Amino acid sequence: MNTVLSRANSLFAFSLSVMAALTFGCFITTAFKDRSVPVDIHVSKVMIKNVDDFTGPRERSDLGFVTFDISANLQPIFDWNVKELFLYLTAEYSTKSNALNQVVLWDKIVLRGDSTKLNLKDVKSKYFFFDDGNGLRANKNITLTLSWNVVPNAGILPLVMGSGHKSLAFPETYETAKSY
Amino acid sequence: MDYKGQKLAEQIFQGIILVSAVIGFIYGLSIQQFGWTVYIMLGGFTVSCLLTLPPWPMYRKNPLSWQPAVPETSGENRDKPQESQKKKKHK
Repeated sequence: MNTVLSRANSLFAFSLSVMAALTFGCFITTAFKDRSVPVDIHVSKVMIKNVDDFTGPRERSDLGFVTFDISANLQPIFDWNVKELFLYLTAEYSTKSNALNQVVLWDKIVLRGDSTKLNLKDVKSKYFFFDDGNGLRANKNITLTLSWNVVPNAGILPLVMGSGHKSLAFPETYETAKSY
Repeated sequence: MDYKGQKLAEQIFQGIILVSAVIGFIYGLSIQQFGWTVYIMLGGFTVSCLLTLPPWPMYRKNPLSWQPAVPETSGENRDKPQESQKKKKHK
């Protein structure tokens, strides 16, 4: 502590240690918070096609098309330890060949500072809803849920499911040669 | 800086950093923005730098009292190397 550099070194190291303790405090104040909010999903149009799936092992697979509305208020989730939310819409169903299938249809990133009221209408799916086989046709129970991944400033990244889901059924027949 | 001054400087910067950390934590928690906690900490850091890095006169109030310089003569120069040789033999 007898030279300027020695004092500067000591001061800087102490500040960094205190900063680390503050970050831990930030994590502790939000670690046990419930980050689930009610979500409202509405489906307006459902269509199914049977097309060649070049990524799969068989000749033709079922390809589903879902047009949906989502509304949710995400404001209660954002606190001082949340940097952004990664939202994704999952379709969950079971077929004869697979007991559990989960397909992500659509996702969105909501940064802190963006509008937190989610009110989307007539959204088409972003990703293809391919089935592993032909299990979508006349499938009575497909459940759509909106989940999100909370990206914090400091701490764990929890995967939270919104409380609210929508069940839909696919039609019995395939659409023929109609463009989407 | 003398020793008491160094101790005073250390106490000052530790106190300022801790106080700004507590204020920053409480303020950031109340407005729910961690960015402000970091800004207040940086402000405390800058104030500590200004107060403790340059050797201000308040850190030089207790200078060490050195012994007065003893004028050296040639006789003492000869004695000293002999004394140091004797000590080495005893070891």
